[in-house]
Amino acid sequence: MLVSIITADDPALRDRSLAEACAGLDPTTLLAECQELDAFRRSSGNLYHRVRAIFFLQAIYRFHLPDKLSAEDTGSIPFTGYEDLLGRRFEEAIDTFLAKQTKEGPSDAISSSLAAAYHQLAFQTLADQVRKSVRTVRGNQWMFRMGHPADHPLRIRPELLSLTDNLFPVLCERTPVRMDLTHSAWSDIFFLGMDFPQGARVINVSVDLAVHGRDDSPKPPVEAYFRIIDQPTLRLTSIDLKASAEISALAEVFDFAKDYLGLLKAALIASGIVPPGIEGSGKSLADLLAQIAGPGRGIEIVSSVNDIPKGSRLAVSTNLLAALISTCMRATGQTQSLTGELTESERRLVLARAILGEWIGGSGGGWQDSGGVWPGIKLIEGEVAGETDPEYGVSRGRLMPKHHVFGDEEISTEARQALTDSLILVHGGMAQNVGPILEMVTEKYLLRSKAEWQGRQDALNLLEQILNALRAGDIHTLGKLTTKNFRGPLQTIIPWATNHFTETLIARVSEKFGDDFWGFWMLGGMSGGGMGFIVEPSRKAEALEAIHEIMIRTKRELENALPFAMDPVVYDFGINPHGTFGDLREGADAVLPPSYYHLTLGQTLRTPPADLSPIARTELDQFASACRTNPAFESSVQALFDTLIPRAAGEEDGDSSLQELLTEHGFDKAQHEKIRRDLRDGRIGLSQNRLSANTTIKDVTAEDITDFTTTGPADEAVALGQQALAKGEVAVVTLAAGAGSRWTQGAGVCKALHPFARLGGKHRTFIETHLGKSRKRGSEAGNTIPHLFTTSYLTHGPTSDFLDTVDHYSYPGPLHLSPGRSVGQRMIPTERDLRFAWEEMPQQVLDEQQQKMRDSLRSALIGWAQSAGEATDYNDNLPLQCLHPVGHFYEFPNLFLNGTLAELLKDRPQLKTLMLHNIDTLGADVDPAILGHHLQSDAGLTFEVITRRIEDRGGGLASVDGRTRLLEGLAMPREEDEFELSYYNSMTTWIDLDVLLELFGLTREDILADDQEKISAAVRSIASHLPTYITLKDVKKRWGHGQEDVFPVTQFEKLWGDLTTLPEITSKFIVVPRLRGQQLKDPAQLDAWLRDGSATHIESICEW
Amino acid sequence: MKIKKAVITAAGPGQHHLPLQTLVSPNGDTKTAIAFLLDEIFASGMESAAIVIAPNCERDFSNAVGEHLPKVTFIEQSDPLGYGHAVLCAREFAGADRILLMLGDHLYLTQSDESCLGQFLAVANQVEGSISAVQPTHESKLPIYGTVGGQRVSGSNGLYEVSTVLEKPTPTVAEQELIIPGLRSGNYLCFFGMHVINPAVMEHLAESDSTPLLLSPSLNATAQNENYLACEIEGIRFNIGEPHGLLRAQLGMALAGESRDEVMASIIELIAMTR
Repeated sequence: MLVSIITADDPALRDRSLAEACAGLDPTTLLAECQELDAFRRSSGNLYHRVRAIFFLQAIYRFHLPDKLSAEDTGSIPFTGYEDLLGRRFEEAIDTFLAKQTKEGPSDAISSSLAAAYHQLAFQTLADQVRKSVRTVRGNQWMFRMGHPADHPLRIRPELLSLTDNLFPVLCERTPVRMDLTHSAWSDIFFLGMDFPQGARVINVSVDLAVHGRDDSPKPPVEAYFRIIDQPTLRLTSIDLKASAEISALAEVFDFAKDYLGLLKAALIASGIVPPGIEGSGKSLADLLAQIAGPGRGIEIVSSVNDIPKGSRLAVSTNLLAALISTCMRATGQTQSLTGELTESERRLVLARAILGEWIGGSGGGWQDSGGVWPGIKLIEGEVAGETDPEYGVSRGRLMPKHHVFGDEEISTEARQALTDSLILVHGGMAQNVGPILEMVTEKYLLRSKAEWQGRQDALNLLEQILNALRAGDIHTLGKLTTKNFRGPLQTIIPWATNHFTETLIARVSEKFGDDFWGFWMLGGMSGGGMGFIVEPSRKAEALEAIHEIMIRTKRELENALPFAMDPVVYDFGINPHGTFGDLREGADAVLPPSYYHLTLGQTLRTPPADLSPIARTELDQFASACRTNPAFESSVQALFDTLIPRAAGEEDGDSSLQELLTEHGFDKAQHEKIRRDLRDGRIGLSQNRLSANTTIKDVTAEDITDFTTTGPADEAVALGQQALAKGEVAVVTLAAGAGSRWTQGAGVCKALHPFARLGGKHRTFIETHLGKSRKRGSEAGNTIPHLFTTSYLTHGPTSDFLDTVDHYSYPGPLHLSPGRSVGQRMIPTERDLRFAWEEMPQQVLDEQQQKMRDSLRSALIGWAQSAGEATDYNDNLPLQCLHPVGHFYEFPNLFLNGTLAELLKDRPQLKTLMLHNIDTLGADVDPAILGHHLQSDAGLTFEVITRRIEDRGGGLASVDGRTRLLEGLAMPREEDEFELSYYNSMTTWIDLDVLLELFGLTREDILADDQEKISAAVRSIASHLPTYITLKDVKKRWGHGQEDVFPVTQFEKLWGDLTTLPEITSKFIVVPRLRGQQLKDPAQLDAWLRDGSATHIESICEW
Repeated sequence: MKIKKAVITAAGPGQHHLPLQTLVSPNGDTKTAIAFLLDEIFASGMESAAIVIAPNCERDFSNAVGEHLPKVTFIEQSDPLGYGHAVLCAREFAGADRILLMLGDHLYLTQSDESCLGQFLAVANQVEGSISAVQPTHESKLPIYGTVGGQRVSGSNGLYEVSTVLEKPTPTVAEQELIIPGLRSGNYLCFFGMHVINPAVMEHLAESDSTPLLLSPSLNATAQNENYLACEIEGIRFNIGEPHGLLRAQLGMALAGESRDEVMASIIELIAMTR
């Protein structure tokens, strides 16, 4: 039945949603359908039939089958299949998982594994097709055939080879960026354009930019320069990234992540100067350059985006790539004209090359992103593949779209001016990874999910209306339509397109400007970065300032909760009428931008004059002359001087505040130095985290656990729990001290404060959600539940301030913050640990080009660790980014040390039980049944575990040398051991307070008396019985204009679950439903979390 | 109509001495490059030939053409304004006839029973309009040659209907505009140095005001307006103007003739003695 949906000619059947088709099917029928779909996808010759079948299979195994399986069908995941998955051997992984399913029957674990494998296979298949299409575009093919310098068929144009006044001419390319006036509902993703070309339509405008208040007037922000040099090398300079390199070996050109010059390298390759076919040939770069430019000559390429911040959603990097490719193509005669505009066929070729360049560089933009190459306003549309296209018979659409540039007769000059007069273009400052969003959209469209598919049709209708409004010059209507698009189709398709920051901005701008605020408009994959506000023209000047102020103010309020890469900016802009444009500078005019000389002349000046080439000497003269006569070079002498004599280290103020922070947060210098010595001597490290290889690790048996998923709670237990709640004997401890590394990839914001999803009609933070559950359980029990949030150096201040701002969410019960009492300082990792993490541990192999990028980056990071000093203090970042929390074990004893528990005991002397849980375990609440069960048992600690899915990595419940305990992933002697374990640790723990105090050798009286010495000694004593793990964490370093680098740093931690290793305390384990125990660790999980009913479940257990 | 007139261009700046170089033919005769060309031209049934030369070169060329002098006309190109201009200098000589056009710095070695020119004229005399000799050429040589795009004439062997002519195209453009179905990938039909052009080409050249004046744009215009063919030749062309071009030409001729073994022995000896 499902196969017939895929192959149907009738659109009504073909576009039927999978969810609708699966509703009402029992597991046996669903599995039979899966078998049929799998056989179909293996045999079908049509790419999109195949891919759709794979997406169907993924969705069934992820969303439709698990709901219908019995709770007893837990199952396990074969490690060989997992290894295949990591190695991108998807077919083998699927075969292994299917074989297991056939042998042992369907299970939640196997379903999750199959879903993961099909998901990756689908995207790999699509990416392979795009790549194949890119290679087969005519004009690109030869570059993959050329493997020897002597065969190089390109020659530098003679105009660039002749010296004028002893200087080679400079070819300059200026390119606008593009904005998408309609938001294409993400239909500009290559896969989607190729699947449904009729649906891929965007209105794309080429714009010049200036940062309002900083730059004089809008100009094409992207600039690329090309000139010949008198050395047989490639000299590459990125002015904005302040990076320059002289490349003398071919292999270096293909080493993208070695420095910040990857985009320039990709342009050299995609333009055919260093064709991709020559990679790995071992040939000489000098020979190649001699062939195309003449013996002894080389090429210099310089890029600049005039400090336009990264993440603007204006496709700055794609248009820079296109500009670089254009200039290289002009220089090598691949365009008719050396200067001026490009012809239509040349623009299309630049587009094809930019797609190629993005693939080579391991990134990927949409097909409209090179829009700046074209002039003015244009309609970009997908095209149905014709018989002569390489895509014909494989996909419905062509890889390359067609561009229709609107003439003045279609969109008048007045209409264009009206748009300019009303639109305020901004960068909100948020740093976001839109990759997961693009995957979500692709999946939803290919599954023809009902609401999303309808959303896509609505967005297409809106495009027509927006186009009509633009033709009529009716910007007021246009504003209403872009808002309607944002509120309607876009958020129907991707709820995560909006966020609390954006919503607050819209509300504040709306409040400020009332009816004169005509509309909001989102640029790119999600809001928060590039956005547009449309206002009544007479108020534009006022709005430019006001919106900037609103954005800055809102950012200040939310910067601890949401990841911002920079302060928001407002742009001045103008519509560019040329597209990319080249000009040639000769003789005295052959100058590069002043910043180029600031960056590079230092080296020239340090060279003895006698060693300088005549051209270098002339260039120095030229610079000196420009400093005297050219206004653009006015401040160049000072800037050059600053480059030559950098500020002394002592002038930096970061170091002193780091020391203050360390002192303030209880940094243990002696312990730190010991860890450093042990790290250097190899006594501790990633490999030493592991238990010895002869440890016996087995899965637990039914006797070791109580399964709450299959057996309902006993009535007495429920009654006991309710009674304890009514008496106020229970409190909740939410662990909120961590930095949420995975949530923001090390951005150092408070995850607890992140308004991560709309629940009950508005964006809710993690804290509000946890309080919502306690509020509800409290009101049901007729007593309030005290709620404690542990914090750290990083999260305490922001959390405290935030709770004040929101009036503690009007929580009726006691609400306390428990500040951290210990902190560590991050260190530069050792090469040994980096290699262990990257080479010894199983790694997800990436797609071919991305893997190359990663290998190159890792090699650069190992170089960084060596040069910065292994196991030395990491302090090249903001002070707060140099500290680290020391593991969640400490968060509970901190309650003893910081007086929070004492305060609570004074308030609630009857307190007996604490439920401790992680900030991301959203389903955990004070369930009376589980509480009652814990009270009935003799356990000091009752840990909640859940059945394992493939994404649940990092240890589990195990029998270790005969003892049932939680085992951290870090400590697993062998990776495969983890796959024998049926249960994953949810971290939620029910604690008998008195038993735990006894373990520490403390009493309630000690706590109430705040006997610090005794308490500290007790904590140190227990801590010494627990293992210390060395971990590598990612930390972001922000610099420049929205640039971010991620570094691995070493830190140590002690973990809560290791309390189960102590024989002095009885630990029990219960299996709870997945909805209760699952953790939300990555924003990429959000969509599935919404779709699989998790969000609805959370709403049902909260009271706001 | 049968082609009776030939034009050889030999006035290229810095290259006008090339046709005067002396080589040994496969059968052991020693003569100049221009004489080789004229031998082939008149052996193919041509009745007269014109050589376009640079100023003050007539005496040298008169000496070089040897026995063919009575049938040869010298046309002086006063300024080096491009290959197309050199061809245009012969407009009066051509009159209303189709003419054979050859390059003074190219020599040919056949790989069939018929000479290269013989193969070309055998086809050219059968058809109307302009026609060029071509050869499949690897894309790495594109910076050297004019290149044509088009379709194979159905039912023929090695005959093409030309739709586009581009001078020294980049492979990027060649891939988009000049791919010929049936050729190996990365190979294009490049000019072999022999054309038969009709008066319309001369007319187009005369109307063009570009400097330098090239022949390819006029041939391209011809391809757009009338039936223009290309004919594949089985043979080797030697451009004696390239570095070592004369040496390659001489070696090619020697290896194709009676002295093959002796020349091969010399080459091996040289290889052994040098590094």
